[in-house]
Amino acid sequence: MRDVAIIGAGMIPFGRRDEDTLMEMLAYASLKALDDAGLGDKSVDAVYLANMGGGMLQHQSAIASSLVDRLSLLPAAADTVENGPASGASAIKNGLLAVASGYYDTVLVVGGEKMREVTGWRATDFVATMTHPQAEYPYGITLPGMAGMFTRLYMEKHGVTREHLLAVSLKNQEMGTLNPYAHVEMALDREGVFDSPHAVVNNPVSADPLHLYDLCPVSDGAAAIVICPLEMAKKLSKPPVLIAGFGQATDTHTLQERDDPTDLKAVTLAAKQALEMAKLKPSDISVAELHDAFTILEIAESEHVGFFKKGEGGKAAAAGKTRLGGQIPINLSGGLKARGHPVGATGVAQVVDIVWQLRHELPKTRQVKNAQTGLTVNFGGFGNNVLSFVLKRVEP
Amino acid sequence: MKKEIAITAYKCRKCGKIHYPYHDRCLECKGREFEQIKPEGDVTLLAYTAIFNLPWGFDQRYLILGVAEFENHVKAMGQIKVDSVDQLKAGMKMKPSWEPVRVQYGEDVYGLKFEPME
Ligand SMILES: [Zn+2]
Repeated sequence: MRDVAIIGAGMIPFGRRDEDTLMEMLAYASLKALDDAGLGDKSVDAVYLANMGGGMLQHQSAIASSLVDRLSLLPAAADTVENGPASGASAIKNGLLAVASGYYDTVLVVGGEKMREVTGWRATDFVATMTHPQAEYPYGITLPGMAGMFTRLYMEKHGVTREHLLAVSLKNQEMGTLNPYAHVEMALDREGVFDSPHAVVNNPVSADPLHLYDLCPVSDGAAAIVICPLEMAKKLSKPPVLIAGFGQATDTHTLQERDDPTDLKAVTLAAKQALEMAKLKPSDISVAELHDAFTILEIAESEHVGFFKKGEGGKAAAAGKTRLGGQIPINLSGGLKARGHPVGATGVAQVVDIVWQLRHELPKTRQVKNAQTGLTVNFGGFGNNVLSFVLKRVEP
Repeated sequence: MKKEIAITAYKCRKCGKIHYPYHDRCLECKGREFEQIKPEGDVTLLAYTAIFNLPWGFDQRYLILGVAEFENHVKAMGQIKVDSVDQLKAGMKMKPSWEPVRVQYGEDVYGLKFEPME
């Protein structure tokens, strides 16, 4: 197996992008990554396109074929990868394995989603199609609803409090104001959403016990990377970012069939595989992008990955240990909470943000000083399909 | 008229593990033969939430949902007939029923509902 490195990374600002079609967003992000890799006028061997809802929301299928045509990448191999909200990381995994095996040299991975095209009512239903079609979906359960049940159980078992969840919202929205690619660029005022009597109006319960500001927004957006063998990457001017480890694991479709529904086994396994492959420990990681579709998930994942012991993640967040300059800075992009969560794009966007960290390209307000290693967790379904990457800076 | 709870759970003939919903192989021992069983006995509430952003297809303002376990270990999701989650507590005994849970294409879709015993 060959070592594989990321040589190009690009993203378009997430948010409500009424002016762009899904295909336009995918094309813009792809061109940014190709230009960043210095491949502006060249082709690639293959394209892996991550998207969850093109068929349902845009009534458009086989979109990878359409994208290579738009980008004049013909006759490159092209596949669309659909794995729910973990589609992005799944597409990267496909590219990684293809290059590592020696089959392809240069691969473009792009993820994108256009969710604001439909009403919130429809978007909620679209995401809920991931739930079990007989045992869950007919009841009206939503992903926030699953997260609500999980949160109450996690609070009872591991002592997470609303104060801990609030610390995640405040940090991630603050980081969003510093990230020009973020969907939510508004800092939260603790008084207004928590302490004051108006908090019940400003920050109402959304999926009990989760409140409005515990949830990520519904976003449009796209992100892309270009990968190639490390030996080729070393000849380029920018520091290559090595994909040092990856892991993926699955768990039962329904939460009720897990022996302990608070135990996110697929997160533990995916991160363990990624760290072991990279020969690193959780304490070796400089910066992480975790899948905080709900604030509780940032805390739970920080424990399952091994940054903190069970029961310590919430306290660590409240104590500032996950902020810039803390023990392990998490979601300095603003995370899904503020960067946004265009489902197919998220797993790729997480890796793009880590690439920027490891190349030391970010402004001081978001850059982890001398970052050498990064970890991502991309969480599909309600933890029934999870991927993790460990990335490492390589000096040019 | 009270309707029978039309849920079928599956008990592995090899190891006895109870499954709901259906799996083609047992999650414990990979056995493929199952005895069909009905959820029976006392029902205990395990988890619950109230959601205020409902998916397409629901007209009400909010929905209270939960997962409960029957005495014979069948666990299932259902809608909960209370006005607020303040009336709920994990571990409380519930009364199950089979009622319309949503309307699709103009037809009632039936499913599990729970309400506290008291
Ligand atoms: Zn069995």
